[in-house]
Amino acid sequence: MATERSRRRALTAGVGVTALVVILYLTGGVASGLKGAANVVVSPFSWTVNQVARPIGHFLAGAINYSDVVGQNQKLRYELGQAQLRANEGWSFERQLQQISTRLHVPFVGSLPTVAAQVTALSPTNFAATVDISVGRDNGVLAGMPVVANGGLIGSVISTTPHGATVRLITDTNSSIGVTYGSGTTTLLISGRGVNNGLAATAIPLATSISPGTIIATDGLEGGLFPAGLPVAKVSKVSLTPGAATYNLILRPTADLRHLSYVDVVLWEPST
Amino acid sequence: MSRAIIPATIVTLIIVALQLEVLSTLRFSGVVVMLVWLWPLAMGLTGFTSLALWVALVGGVLFDTHSTTPFGLTAIVGIILAYGASRLGREGIGDLDSAAIWVTPVIGAVGGFAAPLLYTFGGAFALNFGLWRGSLLTMMVVNAFAFLLLARPVTRIAKVLSNVGDRARR
Repeated sequence: MATERSRRRALTAGVGVTALVVILYLTGGVASGLKGAANVVVSPFSWTVNQVARPIGHFLAGAINYSDVVGQNQKLRYELGQAQLRANEGWSFERQLQQISTRLHVPFVGSLPTVAAQVTALSPTNFAATVDISVGRDNGVLAGMPVVANGGLIGSVISTTPHGATVRLITDTNSSIGVTYGSGTTTLLISGRGVNNGLAATAIPLATSISPGTIIATDGLEGGLFPAGLPVAKVSKVSLTPGAATYNLILRPTADLRHLSYVDVVLWEPST
Repeated sequence: MSRAIIPATIVTLIIVALQLEVLSTLRFSGVVVMLVWLWPLAMGLTGFTSLALWVALVGGVLFDTHSTTPFGLTAIVGIILAYGASRLGREGIGDLDSAAIWVTPVIGAVGGFAAPLLYTFGGAFALNFGLWRGSLLTMMVVNAFAFLLLARPVTRIAKVLSNVGDRARR
């Protein structure tokens, strides 16, 4: 009898809390307040765990991956040298392009101000590709601003706090970007395929010619979400079904999204 | 439950902190192991339904506050796992002391395999249809394997906590 009663009570409680969670979800404002309160509750525990776990993690990672770290360091030094060389070579071209862009009234990325930020946390879940960064509203960062790092676009800011922001990566399943390539006459819409799956563009007419290795960049169309010319991805596979009138593309982000430590927020707001 | 609720809540907070600070960076094949789902499942296997539902709710809601995915969805999946596991726990299935040694890990693995799928279906109800586009199968397999390994130790912790409530009941 008592078991039956407690079972019924548990079931009622379960249904009740589920309904509560659904209501909280539907009323976004309440959920937002709850999020702030929950952050306050969890943060001391997170801080403690972080203080304990981080040194242990670093020690283990350093011990296990020492040779990799040395190798990576050498590779990075080489890449840095290459980048400096390219930067020097590209300086005069950049100057010319800036002049042309100004005449065409196209926002040129190089002249846009940026704010450097440190990546403070990766997405805690498998279902969203996001990172948290260390700059927020107090630094002029607003929702919608593009974020670049490692040689390309990595995403855009989706929410901000006074001292932090959340960036949705371009690989997130809710991410869509208008892009172009080559002479800039053709525009495509690419979307994220999930945390580890890169990007894709579907239903591209056969008349549009694009080959693996092509680098695509943001199109910067009027009213678009990104300024023109930010490198987004490289075509890694062209998928053509015999008899079909369209084909699909699989793309790899230009920026290495797996190793994000520092990023730049481009202080550019999408036009409304 | 009243005696066990405070230690269970504290352990849940530690689990959420571990999930956010350690497991979100320690990925296997790019997949995060969802300890916040294993914990209510393990608590459910002890047979304390209310306590299992409570830790699922607290852990899920706190975790969801740090994620950009639909709010409350992790909590709902945790509640479903907790309720299902507690049904088994009440029948003595998955009990660490009397059931066969493989039963708890297998229940954990089934839970770990099913949880991402439940989450994806839940996402569709929350009008977020993009969740399935990730590596769903990889998530299911990695979580199933992780839950297989972790089910017994985590259930042991849950058992110790639930014994606090059990002693109070006696």
